[in-house]
Amino acid sequence: MAMPDDLALRLKKLIVETLRLKDVRPEDIRDDEPLFGNTRFDLDSIDALELVLRLEKEFGLKIGTSEESRRALASVATLAEFIRQRGAGPRA
Amino acid sequence: MSAEADALPVGIGVCDCLTPLGDAAATHAALLAGRRALEMRPVLGRDGGDAVPLALCAPMDETIPPRWLPDLRRLVARIPGDAWGTAARPVIITSSNFGVGSLHAFTRDRDSRHLRHGPPFACVEMLQREFGWGDHILLLSHACVSAQHGLLQAARLLHGGAAGRVLVVTFDFVSPFVAGGFSSLKILNAGWPAPYAVRESGSIGLGDGAAFAVLTREGGAFRLAAHALHNEMFHFTGNRPNGAGFDAIAAAIAGAAQGRRVWVKGHGTGTLEAGRLEAEAFARALPDAPLVSWKGSLGHTLGSCGLVELAITLAALRAGRVPGTVGSTAPCFTDNVALADFAAGEFDGVVLDSNAFGGAHAATLLTHD
Repeated sequence: MAMPDDLALRLKKLIVETLRLKDVRPEDIRDDEPLFGNTRFDLDSIDALELVLRLEKEFGLKIGTSEESRRALASVATLAEFIRQRGAGPRA
Repeated sequence: MSAEADALPVGIGVCDCLTPLGDAAATHAALLAGRRALEMRPVLGRDGGDAVPLALCAPMDETIPPRWLPDLRRLVARIPGDAWGTAARPVIITSSNFGVGSLHAFTRDRDSRHLRHGPPFACVEMLQREFGWGDHILLLSHACVSAQHGLLQAARLLHGGAAGRVLVVTFDFVSPFVAGGFSSLKILNAGWPAPYAVRESGSIGLGDGAAFAVLTREGGAFRLAAHALHNEMFHFTGNRPNGAGFDAIAAAIAGAAQGRRVWVKGHGTGTLEAGRLEAEAFARALPDAPLVSWKGSLGHTLGSCGLVELAITLAALRAGRVPGTVGSTAPCFTDNVALADFAAGEFDGVVLDSNAFGGAHAATLLTHD
């Protein structure tokens, strides 16, 4: 399993790449920065859908409900914690 | 933004539906008995996937001809013959899906026969041939308010003098493509739907459904007295968090219902936010009106839900008993939610509410003697 800091950075890169965020560098996203409802990213539920599908594929995990998705995707920190709790790791 | 109801009263001649529980009368009886049509089934049909609540008339395979055609034949056989599809007797066909599952099957199997009923126009042409309808057919798709939008268009045709009678037909049958989409959104998941119930996680079910109504200029025992449409223009899949869209449609139809004792057949799919916003809006606009949803049993029949549930509502009025919110238990978001069945005789009107992706809302006032 990746170390927490590595996981956070990997998640930031994945978010920027999956959602094609312009003018946002992975290292500029703070761990506790809200991902949704944040005008800097301007993400919506379709972005959440894309992100969830990518995370499920990338980490081999399952997000069960929209509420669980909302809680997990609150920030990079909550997302990393969600992944660690499930013992999921990035797939090669 | 405010919405206003169109007062375009029309009579309901004949109206019936088809669900996995049977026709409108059988479905009503099953709802009263608390039966749930939903069963846990693989989200992708024969291709497997997670088990989710689906209410199906037949296995969810994309067959040739489509699996839903025999069901539609049975339903259409109940429509009185009346030279449908002529200028004076137009047909309005509504659906949110049409044959979209077959388009997906074509991309998977490369069998071009799926295309005969995949695209909406091909689908409607097939039905036109199958049922011998003429060319005066209006096709209408507006997500999950499709059927109620079709009823409004029928009322406008009748009031504009463009038609003497209008047949509105609606059908939505679940396909792996559609179930997979809702599953990806995580609102179709391993939980049973419990409309308006306070829970940690929301969930919907999806259900097969089809229905028809013959609308007339002349009034009858049952009338669609007013129609309201409203669009929030907010987001593809989300509503304004302050509930303004739900308030707008509830206020518009409540205005039309003034002076009547009504109950509300709500949309109530089982999602938490939209369910709460709908319940709160009707608690404000019609505080004395009990609110029920039947999607905890039937699942969400998508674009057809407005007409499927209208047919069940008519069956409830004829039987004198309104089924409660099957599948839900207290606590609920608001006190107006009716969990148990109640007597229809205390009321002289029903509000039918539907909501859809894209922020669309539709409400109809049904009145009766």
